[in-house]
Amino acid sequence: MTKKYIFRKSKELVSKDDFFLWLDSLRKNYKLIGPVRDENQTTFRELNSSKKLFMEYETTMLSPGKLFIYKQREELCKFKMDGRISVEEALPLSDKQIIVGVHPCDTNAILYLDRIFLGAFKDPYYESRRKNTIIISLNCTQVLKNCFCSSVGTGPFLKASSGYDMLLTDFDDKYLVEIKSKRAEKLFNIKGKRAGAIELKIKSDKEKSLLNKFEKTINVKGLDNLFRNNLNHPVWEHTAEDKCLSCSNCVMVCPTCFCYDILDEVSVDLKTARRFRQLDACQDLRFAEVHGDNFRGGRGARLRQFVTHKLNQNKQFDIIGSVGCGRCITWCPTGIDITEIAKEIQRHEPA
Amino acid sequence: MNLLKPIKAKIKDIKQECEDIKTYTLFVKGLFGAMPGQFNMVGYPGVGEAPISLSSVVYNGCFEHTIKGVGRVTKFLERFRKGDEILIRGPFGKGWPLDKVGGKDILLIAGGVGLAPIRPVLQKILSKRKSFGKISLLYGAKNEKRVLFINEFDKWQKNISLYLTVDEVVQHPPVSPLAERGSNVGLVTDLLDKVKIDSKNTFAFICGPEIMMRFVCLRLLAMRVDKSNIYVSLERRMKCGIGHCGHCQHFGLFVCKDGPVFSYDQVCGLPDGLL
Repeated sequence: MTKKYIFRKSKELVSKDDFFLWLDSLRKNYKLIGPVRDENQTTFRELNSSKKLFMEYETTMLSPGKLFIYKQREELCKFKMDGRISVEEALPLSDKQIIVGVHPCDTNAILYLDRIFLGAFKDPYYESRRKNTIIISLNCTQVLKNCFCSSVGTGPFLKASSGYDMLLTDFDDKYLVEIKSKRAEKLFNIKGKRAGAIELKIKSDKEKSLLNKFEKTINVKGLDNLFRNNLNHPVWEHTAEDKCLSCSNCVMVCPTCFCYDILDEVSVDLKTARRFRQLDACQDLRFAEVHGDNFRGGRGARLRQFVTHKLNQNKQFDIIGSVGCGRCITWCPTGIDITEIAKEIQRHEPA
Repeated sequence: MNLLKPIKAKIKDIKQECEDIKTYTLFVKGLFGAMPGQFNMVGYPGVGEAPISLSSVVYNGCFEHTIKGVGRVTKFLERFRKGDEILIRGPFGKGWPLDKVGGKDILLIAGGVGLAPIRPVLQKILSKRKSFGKISLLYGAKNEKRVLFINEFDKWQKNISLYLTVDEVVQHPPVSPLAERGSNVGLVTDLLDKVKIDSKNTFAFICGPEIMMRFVCLRLLAMRVDKSNIYVSLERRMKCGIGHCGHCQHFGLFVCKDGPVFSYDQVCGLPDGLL
């Protein structure tokens, strides 16, 4: 979403009650999606009332971008093979939706997915959903043990200037609401107290206090060359042999992992077929297999592909592939930590 | 435009090149243009798609794919007859850099089915023969029964130098048009000993198994051809062809959209490859 609109970039303090009432008023025209707590996990899902929202959530297993904009599985085409072939594309029904409470890492992850699916070649399935999605981001109020967004420039407060619609910062019983798009300016019809220098100072103090809480860090400077020069560093094989199960959890929970597979399903009478795409993972043995060869037949090579794709290969989209959400670390069943792998290499050869 | 939606292609002709390799002449309605070295995703509903380079230039909406039946899709294609319909998406990727080689000498080096993506560039060169310098085709096949486009060699040889080799001879005494040409037995790299080149003025376009391209590139470097004048066409698993599905990623590069033709200095030394 690179298009730049001219709009009033207002910043207002709005009571949370008013804000949620406003959200509910939008449900007439929009699907409302936000974080909901069940027992001890929070997930993004569709809501029928803003009362269900759990805005103080820590993190979710799956990012909202890879649930509601880039689908885990979707239909691409329908075919009929009755003598002749007929092809019909299955474009998504583009429901208008609002995703509220998107953390800075996950907002940046959506901006990363934009670079892939709205780049030189556009993916109409993604594009249609992206256009119909209003993103209301929420600055973080806490730092978890696997968060390292401050090291990759994606958080804990959102800095991106466009590509989303509103930004919330928690001010106790109020939100500091910043308008980031023209359509949000049109939609947001409640008047709050205009935020002045004092509020902005409080906001920046909140950010500073969070910045001191990070336990996990990574120095990404020079990682590009460092990885390139250490393709055969023992850490790849050791980690792969000692820990990695090639289970693909890291890829599935990663908010920027975009790889997909295309699969066809044929009807029983062999007369029709449907073509789907679904998430795929570079950790799968057959991911890079061709006839007579497999370019990443070894577990170490597959692990190296994931880690280097997240932490370097920056030239691919001009930005680092990781948003520092820490999900791949949290959900790795054997505790592989990409920041530790980078540090292991840096220890031998400081950047 | 939805680049994931395939279009229908009619099979105008099928030529059996050898035991398990066929050349399909396809026709699509509407505008279709492709550069030598580009590829299509060729497939059928319910079976899937495979990335296949065009093995000819496009003429009147017709073009060719030379396909060896080895996987799910390519084996399935073997059942089709003239007049049947299949699906394609494309063309995708960057082809051979013909714009950079005007007036230069070109070594075209192919191994096995790797001759297929080289053939359209050769056709293009032959149609504008005077715009290029010395052209040599070095071609290695597994054995004398697996040689592609053998009927066209006479025509080619009138305008370019042809060097042929087979890895092994399976028929004794060797009865094949190849034997009459005094072709070699040995690897395609051996053929490089036979050509004399002006290394400063020479470009090389290579396609074949990656391990073959590795050694051809090394030999060319030893012959003082510049890394940036050597071009290779890579093969990777692909699902989309447009840099989205991620399968063909090669340390930051997408083989489908940044390639499949790369200069050697772009891909030399990258992990998970042999170059």
